[in-house]
Amino acid sequence: MGNSMKIDDKNHVESDAEENVKQKRSIAARKMTAVICSALLMFSLGGCGSKKTDETVSIDVSELAGALLETVTSDTLSETASSMIPSIYYLDEEDVASAAAFASSGATACEVAVIESTDTDSAENVETKMQTRVDNQAELYASYNQSEAARLDTAIIKSNGAYTVLCVCDDTDRAEEILEEYGF
Amino acid sequence: MAQGKRRRRKRRSEFAFVFKLTVIVALVILIFEGRLIYTMVTFDPSGEAVSSQSDSETVASGQEEETAAAAETSQSGYLAGLGDAEISDADTEITAQTEIETEPETMHDTVSDPDSTAIVRAQDEAVDDSYFSDAVFIGDSRMEGFRNTSGITEGTFFTSVGMSLSSMTSGEIISDGEDTITVAAALSGGDYGKIYIMLGANDLGEYSWADFKSGFASVTERFMELQPDAVMYICSCIYVEEDKVDTGDYINNENVDKLNAVLLEVCEEEGYYYLDLNELLSDGYGSLIEGASSDGVHITAEYCQEMLNYLKTHYVTESDEDE
Repeated sequence: MGNSMKIDDKNHVESDAEENVKQKRSIAARKMTAVICSALLMFSLGGCGSKKTDETVSIDVSELAGALLETVTSDTLSETASSMIPSIYYLDEEDVASAAAFASSGATACEVAVIESTDTDSAENVETKMQTRVDNQAELYASYNQSEAARLDTAIIKSNGAYTVLCVCDDTDRAEEILEEYGF
Repeated sequence: MAQGKRRRRKRRSEFAFVFKLTVIVALVILIFEGRLIYTMVTFDPSGEAVSSQSDSETVASGQEEETAAAAETSQSGYLAGLGDAEISDADTEITAQTEIETEPETMHDTVSDPDSTAIVRAQDEAVDDSYFSDAVFIGDSRMEGFRNTSGITEGTFFTSVGMSLSSMTSGEIISDGEDTITVAAALSGGDYGKIYIMLGANDLGEYSWADFKSGFASVTERFMELQPDAVMYICSCIYVEEDKVDTGDYINNENVDKLNAVLLEVCEEEGYYYLDLNELLSDGYGSLIEGASSDGVHITAEYCQEMLNYLKTHYVTESDEDE
C-alpha cells in the first residue's frame, strides 16, 4: 500500500513536469509566432510606404522625359530650354533642382515634363501646379480644339520622392508602364 | 542491272528538274528585267541610240524635273536662311536657267509697302539671347510654340492658346499659377524694354479690317502706356499652308496679306517696328514654306529656331529709334 502511494506520487510529479515543459514550449511558440507576424507586418508596411516616402530615389530627368516621348505619336515634340520650364509650370526657380521638358509647336496639346524638386514638400507643390497648367490648357483648348481638350482629360501627373512627371500623350497605357519601370 | 537503270532514271529526273528551274528563272528575268536587258544591249554612250520622238520627250521632261528640283532646293535653302554663299557656281547656273524657265511673272511681296521705314531691316551683327532678358512676348499658340521649340533661353512669355485681338484686349487668359488675369494686368507686373506681339491667326475673317485696325491700335497704345520705355515689335502674321488647314476657309493667305497690311499701317502710324517674318517663312509665292508646319498653321521646331535667329539679326538700335 505504502509502495503503491509512492509510485502514484512519482507518476504525478512526472506528469506535472511534462505539462510544465509543454506549457513553456507553447509560450515560446506563441512568442515566436508573434515576433514573425510583427516582422512580416513591418516589412509589408515598409513596402507600402517606400514608394511615397523614399527620398533617396535618383532619376535622370532627361532620360525619363526622353523615354516618355515614345508615347506621343500624333506630334513631334521638341526639347524646351530648361530656363523656360519654371515659368511654364508657374514654379519658383529655387524650388527646381533639375528639369527636362518636351513640348509641341502648338499643333497638339501633347507635352512631357519631368521635374526634380529641391525637396519632397516642393514636389507636392509641383504636382499642384502641373494640375493647374493642365486645367488652364484644357479650358483654353475647349473653345479652340475639342479633341485636344479631351486629350488633356487623360493627362498623367505622378510623383516619386522629389520627382514629378506630367505626360499628355497618345498612349497613356505605355506611359503608365514606363513610369512604373521608373518607380512611379 | 535494275539498280543501274534506277540511278540513270534518277539522274535524268534531277537533270530535268534543274533544267525546268533554269527555264523558269530565265523567264522571270526576261519578264521583269527585259527592258533593262534591252537597254544594256542597245546602249550607245553617244546618245544616238535614243532616236524616237517619245524617248526624246521623256528625256526632256526628265531634265525639266531635275532643274525644277534644283530650283526648289536652291530657293528653299535661301528662304530657310541658309544663305546663297554655299551654292556653287554650277548650281547658280542651273538656278539661273530655271528662273527663266519656271519663275512666274512676279514673285509675291510679303509686305504691302516694301519701302516702309517701319520694317525692321537686318543688322550686320546678331545679338545673343541676353537681348531678350528684358523682353516680353505676347501672342497666340504660334508664339507659345516659338517659346517651346525655338530654344530661346531668355524672356517673359504671356501666351495663350487661341489668343485673338478680343481676348488679348480684355480676356482673363494669362495664368500665374493662382489666378488668370488679362494681358494688360500681366504686363503691368514688370518693367520691360521690348514688347513682341504675334497675333492674327485667330482673327482672320473675324472682323472688318477697319475694326481690327482700330482695336489693335487701341490695345497696343494701352500696352505702351504701361511700358512707356519699351520698343514695340509687331510680328507679321505668318503664312499658312492652305492645303493642310482644316479649321476654316477664312484661314487663308489672302487674308494673311490683308491683315499684315493693317499691322504695317498701325506700325507706321504709331511708331512701332514691323518684323516681316514671312521674309523668312514664305515660299516666295505667298504661302508658308512646304513642310514648315505639320498642321499648316503651327511652325515646326526647325523653323522656330530660324525665327529666333531672324529676331537676333532684326532689331533696332538707338540710332534707329532716333530716326
